[in-house]
Amino acid sequence: MESFWGSVNLMLFVYALAAVVSFAVAWIIKLIFAGIRLQGTLSGARAEAKAKSASEPGNAPLERKA
Amino acid sequence: MPQIEILQIFQGLATLVASDPLIIFARIALIALGIAFVYLGAKGTLEPLIMIPMGVGMSSVNAAVLFLSPTVMGTLFIDPMASDPAKLMDVLQIDFLQPIYTFTFSNGLIACLVFMGIGVITDVGYMLISPFRSMFIALAAELGTLLTFPIAVAMGLTYKEAASIAMVGGADGPMVLFTSLMLAKDIFVPITIVAYLYLSLTYAGYPYLIRLLIPKHLRGVKMDLKAVPATTKAEKMTFSVIVCTLLCLLFPVAAPLFMSFFLGIIIRESGVTQFIDFIGGPVLYGSTFFLGLMLGVLCEAGTILNPKVLMLLVLGMTALLLSGIGGIIGGYIVYWTSGRSYNPVIGIAGVSCVPTTAKVAQKEARDANKFAVILPWAMGANICGVITSAIIAAIYVTLLR
Repeated sequence: MESFWGSVNLMLFVYALAAVVSFAVAWIIKLIFAGIRLQGTLSGARAEAKAKSASEPGNAPLERKA
Repeated sequence: MPQIEILQIFQGLATLVASDPLIIFARIALIALGIAFVYLGAKGTLEPLIMIPMGVGMSSVNAAVLFLSPTVMGTLFIDPMASDPAKLMDVLQIDFLQPIYTFTFSNGLIACLVFMGIGVITDVGYMLISPFRSMFIALAAELGTLLTFPIAVAMGLTYKEAASIAMVGGADGPMVLFTSLMLAKDIFVPITIVAYLYLSLTYAGYPYLIRLLIPKHLRGVKMDLKAVPATTKAEKMTFSVIVCTLLCLLFPVAAPLFMSFFLGIIIRESGVTQFIDFIGGPVLYGSTFFLGLMLGVLCEAGTILNPKVLMLLVLGMTALLLSGIGGIIGGYIVYWTSGRSYNPVIGIAGVSCVPTTAKVAQKEARDANKFAVILPWAMGANICGVITSAIIAAIYVTLLR
């Protein structure tokens, strides 16, 4: 028969390791979504800045004269 | 005209008469149990998708024993013990279900196909509502998986057998099948049968556990639906690809399961309807059908008569009960730490029987308060439960194989 206390130790080790990996997965979820949201916000801000600078009188694109 | 013995014409009866009393009793009991499974499955008390094919298989295989030679009894269904290549080649050409057993069941393919189907019907977007809380609840709901392991060892099982039966606490059929195939091939048949039998009872049993442990006013706690974030397909696919790769890197031994599950999710989010329809329909239901049928025909009296079966029945029940209690304790902890704004019934959904336990949680909450909607959080905990169960299975298989 295999050791009972050995199985208790193994159980605690398995649980601790599973908890670490599971919470790491939860962190990954948070990081991915924070990253994607940040990218979305940045690209939105960039597009807004572009639109704003284009609408200012001095920054209007030059038109070719015929 | 040769001398005819009438009984020898009806070989199912002849083998019954020629068997040991214990085998006679076991065959009759298993035939009756198979018929009961079909009845209870059709009635909806047990899960019909598994129990109907399993019941028919079980009653047929125990009735259809014949003399393969003057001294050897067997069936024309399957020979799970055939491993010698020459014998296996013979059996593959004779036993009509042997190709399915050898090429899909004993290598875990069928478990992976079921897992792929589960992935296709799973929306990981629910995980994103509160990943840490969902993961915490899922870990709490593994209480049965963890405590059953030393209990089983104390009852005399080896570490490998104990880990296999403990996985019933994860309440995930394909996971139990995969783990027991990897760790305890000698008793994987009774373990998987115990697992599927109990899993089909969770829908009937867990509501009583919830009502016993959670008072009605707490079961009706309303959740803030505005907190459910809108997620894009790109976000879900990015998550699935990264987590799948990471888990395969950490636990290569369970990579087939991880890959199948996340592939299902990615196919769902990719929007390729041909694949979604194929995997969510014929693959998932075809695999479930053959899984049930194989489990049934593997329940032949000679195979199933194992002194450990009674022990496995007790341990399987203990694992599921402890996991349910653990999940509810997890739900209570989140309820207290969140300023009493979290419905503790969600805890039961940490037991990863997708989507049964989430549906049970929602039903119990709605019965207590018709305005309580907890399904998105329950599904989040449910999916986290699948991931934690797979992680624990992977750790056990890696350490003990």
